[in-house]
Amino acid sequence: MEIPQKYIEAYRKKYGEDADIEELRKVYERSLITTGEDVGVIAAQSIGEASTQLTLRTKHAAGLTAINTTSGLPRLVEVFDAKKEISTPTMEIYLKPEQGHSKQKAYDFANSIIEVKAKELFSSYALSLSKKSIEFYCNRDAIKAYGLTLRDIQAKFEKLVKSMSVEGDTLIIKDKSADSVKKLIKLRNKLNDETISGVSGIHRAIINSTQDGEFWIKTVGSNLQHVLSLEEVDQSRTSSNDVMEVAKVIGIEAARNLIIEEVAKALQTGGLTVDYRHILLIADAMCVDGEVRGIGRYGLSGETESVFARASFEIPLKHLMEASMFHETDAFKYVANNVMSNQVIPIGTGSVKLVVKENGKEAKTDDTGKDKGQ
Amino acid sequence: MDLVFLNGKLVGKSDDGKGLIKALIEDRRAGKLPSSLNTRYIEETSSVMINTDGGRLTRALIVVKNGRPLVTEEDVKLLAEGHITWNDLINSGKIEYLDADEEEGAYTALSEDEVTKEHTHLEITPLSVFGTQASLLPFINHSNAHRNVTAVKSVQQGVGIYSTNYLIRMDNDSMIAVDQQIPLVRTKIYDSENFSTHPLGQNIVVAVMSYLGYNMDDAVIINKSSVERGLFKSLFFRPYKVEETKYIGGQTDSICVPDKDVIGYRSEDSYRFLDDDGIVPPGAKIDSGDVLIGRVSPPRFVSSVDKFRLGLQKQVESSVECKTGEGGVVDNVFVTSTADGNKYVSLKVRQDRTLEVGDKFGTRSGQKGVVGMLLNQEDMPFTLSGVVPDLLFSPYSLPSRMTMGYLLELIGGKVGAMGGRYIDGTSFTGEDEESLRKELASFGFRENGVELMYNGITGEEMKARIFVGDMLYIRLKHFVANKIQWRARGPIQLLTRQPTEGRSKSGGLRLGEMEKDVFVAYGAALSLKERFDSDKVTIPVCSKCGLISVYNVRKRTGYCHLDGEDAPIKLIEVSASFKILLDELKSIGIYPKILLGRKV
Repeated sequence: MEIPQKYIEAYRKKYGEDADIEELRKVYERSLITTGEDVGVIAAQSIGEASTQLTLRTKHAAGLTAINTTSGLPRLVEVFDAKKEISTPTMEIYLKPEQGHSKQKAYDFANSIIEVKAKELFSSYALSLSKKSIEFYCNRDAIKAYGLTLRDIQAKFEKLVKSMSVEGDTLIIKDKSADSVKKLIKLRNKLNDETISGVSGIHRAIINSTQDGEFWIKTVGSNLQHVLSLEEVDQSRTSSNDVMEVAKVIGIEAARNLIIEEVAKALQTGGLTVDYRHILLIADAMCVDGEVRGIGRYGLSGETESVFARASFEIPLKHLMEASMFHETDAFKYVANNVMSNQVIPIGTGSVKLVVKENGKEAKTDDTGKDKGQ
Repeated sequence: MDLVFLNGKLVGKSDDGKGLIKALIEDRRAGKLPSSLNTRYIEETSSVMINTDGGRLTRALIVVKNGRPLVTEEDVKLLAEGHITWNDLINSGKIEYLDADEEEGAYTALSEDEVTKEHTHLEITPLSVFGTQASLLPFINHSNAHRNVTAVKSVQQGVGIYSTNYLIRMDNDSMIAVDQQIPLVRTKIYDSENFSTHPLGQNIVVAVMSYLGYNMDDAVIINKSSVERGLFKSLFFRPYKVEETKYIGGQTDSICVPDKDVIGYRSEDSYRFLDDDGIVPPGAKIDSGDVLIGRVSPPRFVSSVDKFRLGLQKQVESSVECKTGEGGVVDNVFVTSTADGNKYVSLKVRQDRTLEVGDKFGTRSGQKGVVGMLLNQEDMPFTLSGVVPDLLFSPYSLPSRMTMGYLLELIGGKVGAMGGRYIDGTSFTGEDEESLRKELASFGFRENGVELMYNGITGEEMKARIFVGDMLYIRLKHFVANKIQWRARGPIQLLTRQPTEGRSKSGGLRLGEMEKDVFVAYGAALSLKERFDSDKVTIPVCSKCGLISVYNVRKRTGYCHLDGEDAPIKLIEVSASFKILLDELKSIGIYPKILLGRKV
């Protein structure tokens, strides 16, 4: 068996150039998985048993400045199911050295990425169908607190409305095409939801510091694409905890690494030790097709090749009907279908077969039932 | 302005709700209003609640006025001598019943010394914080509250004499203890509830020690010789009931000794205990499988062949047999008729349930366990004076559970046994530990209850002093004989050909989905197949069309429904459940074509 070159190099580095390669070979071969070992079931059992001890309830840290992220079993389920929208998306933003080592600059940056919607800057509004106008009464204090001016709002609204004027603290928007209150309300909602400053999707940003005096930012909400495009951000270290988003923005390898990281973290915080290789296997299985697939009805288990394996998992009628319509063939190469029909499973001792040629001839092809019992 | 509610319904309003309540209570105490009337003022909604309806739980308390309880020493004396009654105290407003609502506003003292000016009521006895069942347990003020709850549950499951007419009753799960004793340590409530007329449990000698390792983890070792003398002997009754039903069309069941030509006739041997009327007589020693009541029924479905042989319809056997693993003696036979006029036979089989390994025990302090070993008296440890304990209790059961009531009962039992008297173990007010210890010392024992003991097997003196005493143990209703289950071969289900489920059907234990995964993870493919061979069938498959065909194994001929006589039929082994799956696929219009590979 071929030993990978990197192991040989590491071995020679440790034990000297003329160390016995045969010793290494023994250790290497002993560490390999035996042929026919069902690593999938072992991985599933290893994680499944451990996760029964995880707390189902998530701790709720109300009022704390720290950001509360889903943990324990719910987080594990979320990662394995490859949820499109996770319950607590967060980002860890690291900054380039210039900003990262100044608290004020990091603080300013953190404030600049928090999403501010237009409605947060208005205290009230008035609709008028006769004048065909919407009057927004601005909250001067709020605008000041976010470090904005009325002009910033105007600048954002310019693209959306035709005519706009300012009277003191009141922003008057006129729309001649509006012939019903419904249309005005629609316009008002649209304007209210407009992002005036910051990165959309980021609701809070909190400054943290490392022991080396570097400042980094943890956020509530995630928008990886936008944040990575910002100049101040150190792209190599910034990350999100949303697997699907990472797969979309960075790629499948990054998503795979994130799955491994998140699963290991969820298990570790629960005080459980699961061998890393089990997690690697599951992450690989989820990402092998180039897109993240969850484990479940719409993921791995629902796309198995075997008809009976799929049918025995969930919604049997749907799978059986589809199989009959598309003339599918089940080759009986999986565990589930072989157990169903009481055949030897192709795993472990069942993965080897003994073929005997009688007097050098091939086995008899005509093996009818008529030969039985003779 | 306060709202006034009577039994939850708004009836009016009052300017002074608190004054109204005061007046109501005063009138009730004076006897102008019924004693069951209760009232409460709710500050949050400023409303007066008056309750007079039924179904409220109420409890009696002594009224306290200006820091003095109204019931005096003189009242107690008069009550004890019979000059006044309980009702007199209520009518004079000295004792009153409070419901849950009025309790909210009451400030109750537990004992007379605690009473201050703010108190409104005084507890008649501190024991009244317990219910009837809890107040039967001794020294429970010394034990963990959770253990006391467990103790109540244990005592509920005790085997005693549940009814004095049990001989003529036909209850399911009817168990009777042969010999019961009044506990040496008992409470005042025990006497007032007249429990000594139907006691529960037996006073036995208990040594708190480990021995041979057979009393670890809540197991107990029991003196086998004590069991042979009749300790904890119980009876178990199993009722069987049979009705002679009349069917539409004039046909009827008949209770009799079945004829030999009846469909489903058992062997002649099975009917050997039946009298001429088809019922076993009382006193018959029957075994499992023996017929208790013979019965034949008209055939349920008349087959087409039988229609041609009119008048020759065969009756079907429908006798009642003794359950598997439950032999015994027929105790009582009743022959009556139902409301419909059908003959109705019920009988009871009595079984001796001598103590055996695995039977369960409880005490009145929440310490329960099963028998781990029955040890001969000569092998049991013994004290200097030659006393051999009946039961060895593991000391490791005590520290984590903190059931100090157990230890106090042991000492109390020892004192009671030596002094020839019953010990008052009432919580809060019973005999205290100090006096029990003193009395024990006066009998020549160590005051802390420990004794020198000798190993019964080697005869050596034990280094540790062993805590020995007497206490009440109760046999609980969980007998192993009613729970034991095994199967090597046995009945199968008709449809799936898989083994039946459940103890009563002599079923197997399911090797489920997750258990299957363990075999897979070990790679034990052939062991797994063998485990699932229970519903293995050999089916003939036509290798041309892939459908199940017809095959005669003896003649080695067969045919396919599609390809006729010359079809290449092959025999394959699959599970019966898989064959059903294929059949069901056909039933929904899917053609499951089996492609056969080369046999390896």
